[in-house]
Amino acid sequence: MKLKGKSKAQIGLLLLPGLLIFCIFTVYPIIRLFWMSFFKWDFGSFLSQKFIGLENYRSVVTDPYFQTSFVNTIVYTLITVPAQMILGLLVAILINSVKKFKIGFRVAYYLPVITSWVIASLVFKYVFNTEGLLNYFLTNVIHVTGSNIRWLDSRWGGMTVAMLLGIWKGIGWNMVVFLAALQAVPQELYESAALDGAGSWQKFRYVTLPGIKGTVLFALVMLTIGGFNVYTSTKLITDGKPGHDTEVVLTWMYYKAFSTGKFGYSAALSFIIAFILGILAILEFRLMQNKEQQ
Amino acid sequence: MKRDKKIPAIALTAAMCLAAVGCGQSPASSETTASSENSATTEAAGQAATEAAAETTAEAEPAEEVTLNFWHHYSAQSPENETLTNVLIPKFEEENPGITVNAVSHEWADLHDKILISAQSDTLPDVARLDSAWVPEFQKMGILVPLNKEMSDFQDVADGLLESAMTTAQIGGDSYGLALNTNTKILYYNTEAFEKAGLQAPATMDEFVEDCKKLSGTNDAGQQVWGYDEPGLAGWNLCPFIWSMGGSLTNEDQTKATGYLNSKETVAAIQMLADLYQEQAITGWNSGDIPMTDGFGTGRYMMLLEGPWKVSELAGAYPEFKYSTAPVPAGDGGSISVLGGEDIGMFNTANKDAAWKFMKFMTSEYAQEEMAKCGQIPCNKEALESDTVKNADFAPYIEQLKTAKSRPTVASWSEIDSELTASVTSVMNGEQTAQEAMDDLAKKVDALLAE
Repeated sequence: MKLKGKSKAQIGLLLLPGLLIFCIFTVYPIIRLFWMSFFKWDFGSFLSQKFIGLENYRSVVTDPYFQTSFVNTIVYTLITVPAQMILGLLVAILINSVKKFKIGFRVAYYLPVITSWVIASLVFKYVFNTEGLLNYFLTNVIHVTGSNIRWLDSRWGGMTVAMLLGIWKGIGWNMVVFLAALQAVPQELYESAALDGAGSWQKFRYVTLPGIKGTVLFALVMLTIGGFNVYTSTKLITDGKPGHDTEVVLTWMYYKAFSTGKFGYSAALSFIIAFILGILAILEFRLMQNKEQQ
Repeated sequence: MKRDKKIPAIALTAAMCLAAVGCGQSPASSETTASSENSATTEAAGQAATEAAAETTAEAEPAEEVTLNFWHHYSAQSPENETLTNVLIPKFEEENPGITVNAVSHEWADLHDKILISAQSDTLPDVARLDSAWVPEFQKMGILVPLNKEMSDFQDVADGLLESAMTTAQIGGDSYGLALNTNTKILYYNTEAFEKAGLQAPATMDEFVEDCKKLSGTNDAGQQVWGYDEPGLAGWNLCPFIWSMGGSLTNEDQTKATGYLNSKETVAAIQMLADLYQEQAITGWNSGDIPMTDGFGTGRYMMLLEGPWKVSELAGAYPEFKYSTAPVPAGDGGSISVLGGEDIGMFNTANKDAAWKFMKFMTSEYAQEEMAKCGQIPCNKEALESDTVKNADFAPYIEQLKTAKSRPTVASWSEIDSELTASVTSVMNGEQTAQEAMDDLAKKVDALLAE
């Protein structure tokens, strides 16, 4: 059905405020930031900038601190994304099959999601401090070690704590998403699979998984973006210590812009990350499409 | 096909969940909201005072109305902020009819970022209280007014203020601010622990090393204790050791680090700290360590180097705890601490006459003495001689200030500082020797200084 001119105008008018806000607060800053990334933009050139082409991009890529933070981010994403999805799916399947207290379980698993990142990070820091709860438990309650273990003081120690927090906080979201998807898988398919003699693993493999594939893909893309956006937890738990070893791309970007005034550098960094994320999203979609065709 | 239609619905649910996550983060920003609310009441109070002042003077002198925006980082609830809004600003406005001061309190870290952002959108305030470490950055951005060039009576005002504190705003022979308040670190030590061990406050670096070793180990409750705590490995933390042991970061002109940052003396200072750390005699900079005040107040750290603010922190958190203070232990270079403190500067968009009047007022004997009552060490020489200051237990700090030095006043300081931290961290963790780390660092810093 074709829309009449009048209703088209109406739609345009109704969309206008949202579109304007989107343009002013999203599109314009992105364009401006892209522009900035080609200029020398720091304390010495704050009011009059010089065009330096791809120099900012070069200095980001060759910066050893950026490389460290990038590796940290990749590891964080590679570990937290599958862990959240697998555990979230597992919990969703379990909740889907229990008969009683379904809502109670759902609330319990969803609670970490609605907890503030700041508070959860501080609590995790408190637990894993050298003088924290976990060490107290290990040394004074069950006497596993004689001296305190310094969880937070090394690169992978600090990153592991941040990853644990990410997984703990992410399970609930995955559970809700997968639960909705599971309920959308037609019950008849399970019944006919059962008639064909499928066991529970086969049902999961050949009925459930294909049925929720769209959701798996969706969660994968969202969580990959989320993994690259990790900031609050690492900032509060280790703040890059020791010596920028636990920096992730966003904390490094913030640090370079607001502590050292290198705005051009940070603008370039943000576009490098956006580019990588875009490629990753396309790859993930391709991967899923290929599977579908098989 | 029916299945596919559900996917958008699922996506929507998920998006809403994400939105809920986003909401969960809001407490992070609530602090700033709280302080801006406070500054709103501050403004209201300020305006009320102006109106009162205006009633008495307006008829006599119809001067041109000027509103001065003053940004600072006195905490919103602090006695300093109360003095500022209830005593100092009303007094200034009474003395200078026609000028209204609109004071806004920011969080310390916020203020730095806010100024950066405002510079770009041309919404800078007229005057700001600046952490002295920021002055070189803002100077390089070209937003600070060189006072000695633009103000005819600059020298008279500067002569009345502490020279050492004034160096924090001196860049390339020009002055970009007035020293507003100053501070430095001195040695704090646990009196009981020292008495028990039969020790006196360490007067030299050698004694300091010995005391750290003697006082570390395990306490009666079986907990590990450390002789000394240093909460970071930045210039603020390391400089007292480097300078007191005769080392330095750069040459006098702040243009070169090689030969200074990797000199024998600087390396020795870093090595001394690394050795103490290896022997578990000092700690504090790791993410998992006990926070400074708690560790000191509960007898886990025996010594600290800290500034005057520690007195009220300890009185609030550990009122029973007994400690004493002493000068920074002396090495071959003497007993040299690091200068902290704030400057007051004006931006080039300011109403310069009014801004300069306000800056002179804030550094005057009267204002400085009022602020001294809240624990701010004055930079005004006359205020330093006042009874308020003499009764305020500032004596050890004022003594230490005589030799204290300012960290390099270069725009790339925060980057140099961060490289310094990273290098020294690797020495502490035994990844490099102090000499290797400092040689590499000196080359990097040379490049940063040349920028």
